Amino acid sequence: MDESRRERFEAVAPGMVEPLRRFLARRTDAATAEDVLAETLLVCWRRVEDLPDEPLPWAYAVARNCLRNAQRSAHRQERVAARLAAQPTVEPTDPGAPDDTVLDDALARLRPDDAELLRLWAWEQLTPAEIATVLDITANAASIRLHRAREKLRDQLRKIETAAGHEESREGRRP
Amino acid sequence: MTDVHDDELRARLRASDPAGSLPPAAPHEVARLLEDVMATELTTETRETGTHGRGPLTWLVAAAAVLVIAGVGFFGIHALTGSDDVATTGGDPAASTTRLDVPATGDAKCAVPSAELLASADVAFDGTVTGIVGDQVTLEPTHWYAGDPTDTVVVTAPSKQMQDVASGVEFRTGERYLVSASGDQVSLCGFSAPYSDELAAIFAEAFPG
Repeated sequence: MDESRRERFEAVAPGMVEPLRRFLARRTDAATAEDVLAETLLVCWRRVEDLPDEPLPWAYAVARNCLRNAQRSAHRQERVAARLAAQPTVEPTDPGAPDDTVLDDALARLRPDDAELLRLWAWEQLTPAEIATVLDITANAASIRLHRAREKLRDQLRKIETAAGHEESREGRRP
Repeated sequence: MTDVHDDELRARLRASDPAGSLPPAAPHEVARLLEDVMATELTTETRETGTHGRGPLTWLVAAAAVLVIAGVGFFGIHALTGSDDVATTGGDPAASTTRLDVPATGDAKCAVPSAELLASADVAFDGTVTGIVGDQVTLEPTHWYAGDPTDTVVVTAPSKQMQDVASGVEFRTGERYLVSASGDQVSLCGFSAPYSDELAAIFAEAFPG
């Protein structure tokens, strides 16, 4: 039984490492990403029998949970460390994204859930059904929410670009 | 909106993908990572909780194991927790001491202190801090709401966690506190705090006996 577990994991895991690694690199700093990647793979290994045929969205969901846990305890540690050292140990690790500040602003103005839907759609290139697996919602709900999130993002982009004047508005963006 | 618009939006999002410039991991690193993962399981295979490291079960077992009201003595459950826990007290079963720990994880959600919730506490008392030595805070209870009364209560916490607790309960020598605990774990989130009439009223309501 151990052998078949191993076989299955070895068949599936190598293909998951890179997408998971990217998923995490997009959402946290390098050190945390590394830790959470190992943690996520460990969960996949332990629950190899639960891995669906299309394991990646499922694995993203695991990674999301692991990341949330890591961030919770990181916040706690920061609080403690800050008190001990009487100085904040903030570590703003902005992943080196190319500058589209308008887009960043627009995303930041969305509800976190909406922004995450859009990231899963654009960065992870997931279908609504896959997004549904990651977020543990129905495919229908994912589809509707994704549609709305896109609308909201477009609205925000329009607002910001209008407010910022002409430089940043892009050709063809206005009606 | 049309698909063209969606494609355009997606392309714009993709252009700002923070992982866009991330080079792929070296194959040998991936291989080693996976080997490590598969090897890890072998050493933790006996865990049934599905969580890595100190899961809730560990703390439950630890809670069951470490609650030492001297005079009760030691019990076999302790063996379950392995070497993680240092056995408390060397002996002297005559000394009447309740030993409490501060939970290591503070991420439980806080509920508003209420008599209803408090009523489930195993230990609750009103006491004054008589000394703080290292990570041990000694309190002298003046009134027991719940639990078997003892002469003293010692709250132990690794210093880091003590700091964490300090946000909720800052123990100071000579001051009076209301403390509650489930098992041997001190309840935080306002269920243990410097003495106040409001909290005392909640304690009194929770333990009408």
